[in-house]
Amino acid sequence: MIEAKKLTRYYGDFLAVDHLSFSAKCGEIVGLLGPNGAGKTTTMRMLTGFMPPSEGSAAIDGHDVISESLEARRRVGYLPERVPIYPDMTVRGYVQFWARLRGVRDVERQTDLILKRFSLYDRRSKLVRQLSKGMRQRLGLAQALVHNPPVIILDEPTIGIDPQQVIEVRQIVRELGRDHCVLLSTHILSEAEDICDRVLIVDQGKIVAQGTPAELQKLIRSNTYYVQIGGASEKDIRIFLKGLNGVQSVTRDGSGYLVQASGDNDLRADISGATLKSGYTLLELRQARGSLEEVFLEAVRTDESSQQPAPEHKKKR
Amino acid sequence: MGTLTIFRREVAQYFISPFAYLIGAGFLLFTGILFARDFQTAAYQTVPINPAFIPSVISFITVFFAPLLTMRLLAEERREGTLELLLTSPTSEAGIVFGKFLGAWFYYSVLLALTFVYQIILLTYVTPDPGHTALAYIGIWLYGGAMIAVGMLFSALTENQIVAAFFSLITLLILWIGDAAGEIIGNIEVARLLRGLSLQAHFSSSFAVGLFKAEDVAFFAGIIVILLYLTIRIVESNRWH
Repeated sequence: MIEAKKLTRYYGDFLAVDHLSFSAKCGEIVGLLGPNGAGKTTTMRMLTGFMPPSEGSAAIDGHDVISESLEARRRVGYLPERVPIYPDMTVRGYVQFWARLRGVRDVERQTDLILKRFSLYDRRSKLVRQLSKGMRQRLGLAQALVHNPPVIILDEPTIGIDPQQVIEVRQIVRELGRDHCVLLSTHILSEAEDICDRVLIVDQGKIVAQGTPAELQKLIRSNTYYVQIGGASEKDIRIFLKGLNGVQSVTRDGSGYLVQASGDNDLRADISGATLKSGYTLLELRQARGSLEEVFLEAVRTDESSQQPAPEHKKKR
Repeated sequence: MGTLTIFRREVAQYFISPFAYLIGAGFLLFTGILFARDFQTAAYQTVPINPAFIPSVISFITVFFAPLLTMRLLAEERREGTLELLLTSPTSEAGIVFGKFLGAWFYYSVLLALTFVYQIILLTYVTPDPGHTALAYIGIWLYGGAMIAVGMLFSALTENQIVAAFFSLITLLILWIGDAAGEIIGNIEVARLLRGLSLQAHFSSSFAVGLFKAEDVAFFAGIIVILLYLTIRIVESNRWH
């Protein structure tokens, strides 16, 4: 369905996408995971036919995005990161416009169908400018799907909407993934884990690691633990934790501490045992789950097979 | 296909927006007052009425109206990000630009058609030369198309509608004043050049006086084609950055 071969894109001298190759099948949800500026949007823009690649090629459902551009574009539903709207159109008029432009046969019926599917039918006569952010996101999806494309490309579909809506959008994407080829970008690891069948980790325009979410999890051999201890001063706790066998470093993280083990041994039993023995109160103890940064650093490290300083732990989920 | 869809959206956009009605109302008020005064003067002085009076008035006020009609055409699409969706839909850049141009020209034509009311009023009192009237209207219609093409070019160049309107207004004003400037300049070569480039000059000394000149039709058509071509290339260039 999607076939990218050595896709490359320069902006002037800046190499945004660097010989990226991958493919995605029908019934598969593929996630592009990476920080801002990794080249995710540029990659998507080349696949949707918005931007011609500097080098390499891409095909949608067997149609080259350059030589058979119109055919390829007809087969893609695209939701850019910022939902493009015509503020002065009605919800229905907006969807009908895109349906017509993409050559849908039964515009009226197809539009109403898609509006019902995204629970926008009741608001069909409202102006687009009156919609809330979450509803605009749904409208964006409606627009992308109204012509029933086999390939769906979503750029950060859950950014900037509230948690309830995030769940909704993820649910929709999961359903779409059953009979479409879905490519989405995200910089949230848990999201990629949650909905993608396969994840491509992109950094500086290159794929640095790829696999199923489970395989990627294995990449992070997390030897860091989050500990929260009560009944002692910060100084005492630090001294206590540092004094434990197998502890390499201790860093403050919120109201607790991140303990980095020097080896691969599970430290949890040691930590809990020692805490109880010393008379402190153990409030929380868990293995710190890998963040995106860790996956990255880990992926890059494996890539270069060189030893790098321990990854920094920023946000835990 | 795509052109028609875009044309329909543009026309609908004009007619659902209160702004477009305000423009229309202003247009009619302005031409109406000037028409009434001209009619009165002609009646007092018993001079023959000029059937090209209203088209000539329009030729001046469109310098100010056209930028208002065209400023949002492409600038808004760029600002809202809808241009990206348009450029990933199965439509060519030419289809997008033609659709928008025709939409704006259509709205302008409706405004022109509204001023037929003055010709009808005239007919009840005098019998103006129908050929002169028709030519003046054909001329101002083509002139308007060229002005819209100028405005659209600037709308494609920026995402700021005000900037687009400002630069089209300045350009149209220069192209308008070139006619008058050419008439007062002593150096005949410079004067010819100025009037040759001025949009107004290709209207005032032919269509407006009831004269049909094929070269003036070709001039306006050529201006429209060239500017639309440039606009298409500018829209295309959005793919590169």
